Amino acid sequence: MRITGIFTFIVLCISSYHLQAQLVGDKDDESKLYAQTKQVNQFIRRFNGEEDEKGDRYYPKDKLYRNEKLRKKYLGILFDASNNGINNDLKVQFAKDVLDKAQPAILDFHGGNWFSEVHTTFTMNGKNQTVILFMELEKDHLGSKWVISRVHADMFDPYFKRDTSKVGKFIHPLSHELDFMNLRKAFANSDSVVQFASKRYIPDHLSLFLYEIKRGNLKFKTVEEVKFHFFQINGWYFELSQFNRPGYNTGWLISNLVKVNNETEKNLLRKFLYYERK
Amino acid sequence: MTHHKYVVALLFSLFTIGNIAAQNADISPERKQAIDSLALEKVRDLSKYISIIGNKKTPFSEANRVMDRAEELFAPDSEMGVSSLNRKEVNYYKVRKYFERLMALNYDRVSITWYNIHYISDLERQPDGRYVGVVTIYQHFEGQTDDGLKYKDTTKKDITIYVERKKTQIQGRIVEFWDVLLGDIKVTETSA
Repeated sequence: MRITGIFTFIVLCISSYHLQAQLVGDKDDESKLYAQTKQVNQFIRRFNGEEDEKGDRYYPKDKLYRNEKLRKKYLGILFDASNNGINNDLKVQFAKDVLDKAQPAILDFHGGNWFSEVHTTFTMNGKNQTVILFMELEKDHLGSKWVISRVHADMFDPYFKRDTSKVGKFIHPLSHELDFMNLRKAFANSDSVVQFASKRYIPDHLSLFLYEIKRGNLKFKTVEEVKFHFFQINGWYFELSQFNRPGYNTGWLISNLVKVNNETEKNLLRKFLYYERK
Repeated sequence: MTHHKYVVALLFSLFTIGNIAAQNADISPERKQAIDSLALEKVRDLSKYISIIGNKKTPFSEANRVMDRAEELFAPDSEMGVSSLNRKEVNYYKVRKYFERLMALNYDRVSITWYNIHYISDLERQPDGRYVGVVTIYQHFEGQTDDGLKYKDTTKKDITIYVERKKTQIQGRIVEFWDVLLGDIKVTETSA
């Protein structure tokens, strides 16, 4: 009883100290902002049917938690409506798979198979350069963190260009008998040195990126754009982008949707997204 | 007054989310709601402080005092990252610098109001054991000069919140409680 009294007193104290900042009264703007998918977190919750229209979370004990009708309603607003590239039949097929009664598909923040593509600007020796960082969540100690899994920067490409259709320069197959003394000639011209690397060699921009930062040549300037790639839904890939524009169809929305029929297609798509174009 | 309010809020959190020592790292829905309330309390204070700092009628000394109070809401080294509709590039400011720029804006009248909307993310645990979340709010700004020049915008503010379990001693007993600090803020001009 005494504790209840203290509790009530504290609640009253808080209410009396609670000074509200002045509020905007425009209901039209307000409803647009409610409709906006404001965070990636909200995209995931709406996709899964885990919150109400005001953004308050549903928990497993709540009746509407992951409710099929609720999910269907949300799915309809989670696409970029201005994108005619995603045809309606594909969306319907996607929704059918996602809302499958026997095995509904749910997005899981810690479920892997999704990553971020972050377009940034760095300066390399004083000149602006675009660097694309691919980032993913990684478990570490008591929690998790975003880590850079890959990097792509056009400025590194010229160093690795080679024409494999021509014979070109090579280190002949009996060089080992001469303790590879011909390496001296091989490395004399830095332009052709890439020809001595294996066919299987894939240039690793992340290592170069870290090296150039350590050397002090590459300096961070700004983030230009962020998007996400999801492979979590079996048989599907979708891209998530942010739309800052007037109207109700704004915020984090699906900007690309592809049916992925098998592992080969999935790997090809991943390579494409990672700028592994060869 | 502000300090007193947080002591009350802190005690409130002790009652509602107390008895923590024996519990594991997962945050129950009830505790999450209590933490959300604490976070919103700090976000609302920040909103109020920003309105006061931006108001041209606020005396210089008062604005400085409010900036001090506002800074106390933040974890050290917090920054504001600002982007606009016609410029994707993000400009970065230390929190204090951002407040000083707001105070120095070249308008004769400034009105800063807030939409009655907030969105609170789930809390995720960092490698160091602290929890992190993001609260989104929307600000409406109007500035006017004496010669009739008018500027207005709506900005989305995504505010990092850090949630940490701390210990304090009350009447010889060690009691654990949850504390909330604000962190980096991304400010994005919207088309609303």
